[in-house]
Amino acid sequence: MRPIWIIAVLTMREALRRKLVAALAVLCLAMIGLSAWGFDRLSHTSRLTSGEIGGAVPQAFIMFMFMFSFVIALSASAIASLSVSTEIDSGVLQAVVTRPVRRSDVLLGKWLGLVAVLGGYTALVTGLQVAVVFWVSGFVPPNPVAAAAFLFAEGVALLTLVLLLSTRLSALAAGVIGVALFGMAWLAGIVGTLGQAFKIPAMHTVAVVSEYLLPTDGLWHGAIYALEPSTYLALGSDDQNPGDAFFAASAPGASYLIWAVIWFALILTLGTLSFSRREL
Amino acid sequence: MSPASSAEPRAQAPAGTPAENPAQSARGGAGWAGPSPAVHTIELSKRYRRTVALAGLSMTVRRGEVFGFLGPNGAGKTTAVKLLLGLARPTGGEAMVLGAPAGDRETRRRIGYLPELFRYQSWLTAREVLDLHGHLLGVPKARRQAAASDVLVMVGLAGRGDDRVGTFSKGMQQRLGLGAALMGEPALVVLDEPTSALDPVGRHDVREIIRELRSRGTTVFLNTHLLQEAEQVCDRVSIISKGRCVATGTLAELRGQTSSVRLRVTGLPDGWWRAPQAHGRWTAEGEWLLVRDLAAGQVPDVVAAVVARGGRVEAVVPQQQSLEGRFLELLEDQ
Repeated sequence: MRPIWIIAVLTMREALRRKLVAALAVLCLAMIGLSAWGFDRLSHTSRLTSGEIGGAVPQAFIMFMFMFSFVIALSASAIASLSVSTEIDSGVLQAVVTRPVRRSDVLLGKWLGLVAVLGGYTALVTGLQVAVVFWVSGFVPPNPVAAAAFLFAEGVALLTLVLLLSTRLSALAAGVIGVALFGMAWLAGIVGTLGQAFKIPAMHTVAVVSEYLLPTDGLWHGAIYALEPSTYLALGSDDQNPGDAFFAASAPGASYLIWAVIWFALILTLGTLSFSRREL
Repeated sequence: MSPASSAEPRAQAPAGTPAENPAQSARGGAGWAGPSPAVHTIELSKRYRRTVALAGLSMTVRRGEVFGFLGPNGAGKTTAVKLLLGLARPTGGEAMVLGAPAGDRETRRRIGYLPELFRYQSWLTAREVLDLHGHLLGVPKARRQAAASDVLVMVGLAGRGDDRVGTFSKGMQQRLGLGAALMGEPALVVLDEPTSALDPVGRHDVREIIRELRSRGTTVFLNTHLLQEAEQVCDRVSIISKGRCVATGTLAELRGQTSSVRLRVTGLPDGWWRAPQAHGRWTAEGEWLLVRDLAAGQVPDVVAAVVARGGRVEAVVPQQQSLEGRFLELLEDQ
């Protein structure tokens, strides 16, 4: 087995042994249980018409998925920040990198292991949430697989960035900066939505630039679009709902997705170069 | 994604004549008579901004010997080890390890390393840690299991192989680290302060392991500030201070380069010995005089000098210098 796969498997085993996966699963089940109760109440209330319920359930679903996207992003930031700088500080990595392995293999192996854990978590959360909401309300989003893929990509974007930061900064600094950048990117997205609604080009430009610098919010909008049924899209067009942060009128274009792939490759390359050149 | 191994810290290969260049010998050229040294450095330097950690270290460690790398705290010992293993990049000089530039990835397959800061994955068992190191070395699975069992016995952890590292004491973790360094039958074992967390029994065990390695022909590079440890196991030692090598040789050579003698003299006025003397450095120790830094055969000259001044020599006691004494002298000279 090549060193990169040895490290990837080791990283996944660590997540399992340290009960990270178990903790995330328990958290996920608790949140989904709560959402089941909420969607059940929302779907069977007598205060709303069936048409209003048809609009409210997708909206609530998107908001719930935003919460999951936040949990995924925070989890990605935390596990990425701990996996490199903590091991450098403790000395664990010194014993590994003096073996006949490339440092780039060590970093990429860790990245692959963490990505696999994140992928499993995202698939579990999205799958269960879709199943539970369908069970209590009958609503199925138009493209749950694409939504899960966008959520996953959003988490991987933050994971990759924090992994790069953690090759040079302490775990705390890398994690805090990662979360702060994620929050800023999300806020920039809202600024852009408001700018578009109120025809202020500068505000819209802020969002566009932010989406290219850190594609978490752009990918999140891809997830939103994949969760919006056509009726909801018709009801909630940008003109009717100016400044709605939980609405996407269109999916990210192919050029943006290509840029996201380039961004991933760029950040990952910077991470491996940074780790390879770091003196331990 | 392109691998970035070329950017990893790595020392330059020495660029001297073939006779000076172990790399050429290692590649089959006419150079060293016999195998290239285990370690060879020429003016190896490391500077961290304004701080000079290593100021031109030149040394040669022969194959199969136990080499002590001694020095006070902050002398640059661990920095030198990091440069030899490719954990850091030199700012000057050259280093070769097992015939290849220091840090060479393939050569690391034949090097075992116990770091000064020894920590292993706390969530793995001891056997799993050894298996991981064997796996990274490319040892086949069937052999890894047997090797891990052998190593666990060797480092005194035979009954704890299936326990998680997180439950180990510091001493047990250091034993495990030594075990990890021994996986894959390395040609060179670099031990950075290998007994810092061990009790007297553990220290004794480590010395026995080092002797066992020497009997197998393995080179041991022992980085320590414990002189007694070096005296007990090392074939040769190098003493470094302020980032430079100040003496290298066998223990006998280091002790014997100069000698000292204690004299009890009467019949001369107080302080007479402060006048310039032809041999050695003179100091008073109560009724006795201590004369240090004497070359071989100079003790009779010292006695003759006292007698020539009219003194009576009541006693002459040659001093057997300890490594510690010599170590302190060398550091004082610095």
